[in-house]
Amino acid sequence: MISRRALELATAVLTGGFGVAVIVSSLDNGIGWSSAGVEAGTFPFLTGIIIVLGSLYNLARGVLPAPTLASVPIAITPIELRRLAGLFVPAALFVAAIPLAGMYVASALYVFAVLAIPKHQSVPRALAMAAATALALYVVFERMFQVSLPHGALAAALGF
Amino acid sequence: MDNLQELLHGFTIAVTVPHLVLMVVGVLLGILVGVLPGLGAPNGVSLLLPLTFGMQPVSAIILLSSMYWGALFGGSVTSILFNIPGEPSSVATTFDGYPMARDGRPTTALATAFGSAAFGALVGVILITFLASWVAQVALAFGPPEYFAVYFLAFASFVGMGGAAPIKTVVALAIGFAIAAIGIDTVSGSVRLTMGVDELVKGVSFVVAVMGLFGIGELLVAVEEEFHARAVSSKIDWREVFRAVGRLPRHGVALLRSAAIGCWMGITPGGPTAASFMSYGIARRFSRRGRYFGTGEVEGIISPETADHAAGTSALLPMLSLGIPGSATAAVMMGGLMIWGLNPGPMLFVDQKDFVWGLIASMYVGNIVAVALVLLTVPVFAALMRIPFVVIAPLIVIICVVGAYSVSNSYLDVVMMLGFGIVGYLFKKLFYPLAPLVLAIVIGDKAEDAFRQSMLMSKGSLGIFFANKLVTCLIVAGIALLLLPLALQLARLWRKPASPATDTTSQEKVII
Repeated sequence: MISRRALELATAVLTGGFGVAVIVSSLDNGIGWSSAGVEAGTFPFLTGIIIVLGSLYNLARGVLPAPTLASVPIAITPIELRRLAGLFVPAALFVAAIPLAGMYVASALYVFAVLAIPKHQSVPRALAMAAATALALYVVFERMFQVSLPHGALAAALGF
Repeated sequence: MDNLQELLHGFTIAVTVPHLVLMVVGVLLGILVGVLPGLGAPNGVSLLLPLTFGMQPVSAIILLSSMYWGALFGGSVTSILFNIPGEPSSVATTFDGYPMARDGRPTTALATAFGSAAFGALVGVILITFLASWVAQVALAFGPPEYFAVYFLAFASFVGMGGAAPIKTVVALAIGFAIAAIGIDTVSGSVRLTMGVDELVKGVSFVVAVMGLFGIGELLVAVEEEFHARAVSSKIDWREVFRAVGRLPRHGVALLRSAAIGCWMGITPGGPTAASFMSYGIARRFSRRGRYFGTGEVEGIISPETADHAAGTSALLPMLSLGIPGSATAAVMMGGLMIWGLNPGPMLFVDQKDFVWGLIASMYVGNIVAVALVLLTVPVFAALMRIPFVVIAPLIVIICVVGAYSVSNSYLDVVMMLGFGIVGYLFKKLFYPLAPLVLAIVIGDKAEDAFRQSMLMSKGSLGIFFANKLVTCLIVAGIALLLLPLALQLARLWRKPASPATDTTSQEKVII
């Protein structure tokens, strides 16, 4: 279970961290005024400052028990968390598999795994859908629009 | 009169067989993304964008804008039949549309929705026809300071009127700016904010951001809620369609008021979602039958639908004439314009007459095509709703992954897209608005360039932003909008010190 407050805090820390990274990185470009006008780092530096200040404000609002937060104390219930993971983890694995297996094989495996392993579809139907997905991608991108999708290290090793 | 002549010329471009076919395809695809939960107009348009790179700009924009109309209509279908808003902007339509459909009057509800939507869109297009070139002429007098002032006004109005918590809007905007700054700086040529990752020199494409924020993010929000789609009969009785449309003029006041709200919110970047909620809220307050709202009132459907479409259409006016998108979808389309080699803004009306007027004419035709198709396809899409979510979800993921990769053949983009997905989910969940984030990613660089060019002109003095009437008005209006939420809060505290809580929750509802 994740409370609304924890989620607010995590998001504020995330945005604030991004802000700090932006500030630090923009200092390399120089901030302020030079003979060539406003220096390149100035604008990012300012946005970084705004992000950090805004995040601190959101952080403070998340820590203090505001009446709005009290009305929705729980942001994500355990069941919802499981559903989220059920969607996101396979998707992340799919993305991780692309450099090795290539887009076509990876997406076919992904569709098959998502449909067959939780038994949403029978194995033959899942296989058919997986094959159809890969084929549709190939026809639309490689053939119709001539966009080359990654074939993967595996295919390269096999000489494709 | 000039405008009418140009418009007629536009019709000769828009009403050709290939373009009509594109309209039908675009509208059908649009209805599809509008109907599918987890996909909306911004996603649909961004998913389709890579496929338009090789097209003529006119054809490409006709395809994309037709998809936009289709998505606006499609979103209402599921809202009314299943109580699932396929689009954020059709959330308000569920309040009265679904009760009416459940009472056994789905045809009336759908026909009323489509009829008023078409009216809203028509008002929006007429507004564009007569105002666009005028707005563009005024804008031709613009130099860098004026440009910056207009951008500033756009950003400020998001903070002041977007409906979200102001500080969250500011954070979203600033993050967008920072993301826009990643890569090579156009003024000095130096490399910025790559944080040591060489591949980031090319910058972060807004397509990657949009796919993650809207595609994956909305999917995560959708998977979290259970889908208990309980379909009501979706047969269409044709006579009832005409009867319902025929009854619309009786609600003339509501129609006109909602169209006005929609146009205003579309031009100032409040967007269709905010417009439909605002229109529904105002209708409930002013209608004589206001207390029956929520039980299937006709005006409860007319108001959000008219405003939604009026806003959706008029959002294209600032995009075309000033280069400022009025909605997230318009922001995505504007990115498309730049990719096709066009420069959105006043010069478009001089350099690319065919493009502009072809597009405006296609809006008239496209909306007629959309109304006809949406009525014909209601039974088909109702059947589509029976495809289980578990099958559709992985397909959406694959579309987003492939889309992100094909922008610049970069694997890093795919990983970033997934990251944007998490950000999109968190932001949606916690009511951070996404539209300002996208807006800043798309035009952040231009705003910065305008600011720095003005600074070069004035040798570093901010006085250039108050040098003439036009720029002063724009800047003052922007500052006023920025301070508006603060002023409202102070006024409220001053009047009755004890009840700020209820208002924040209603604000949070608005941006869902």
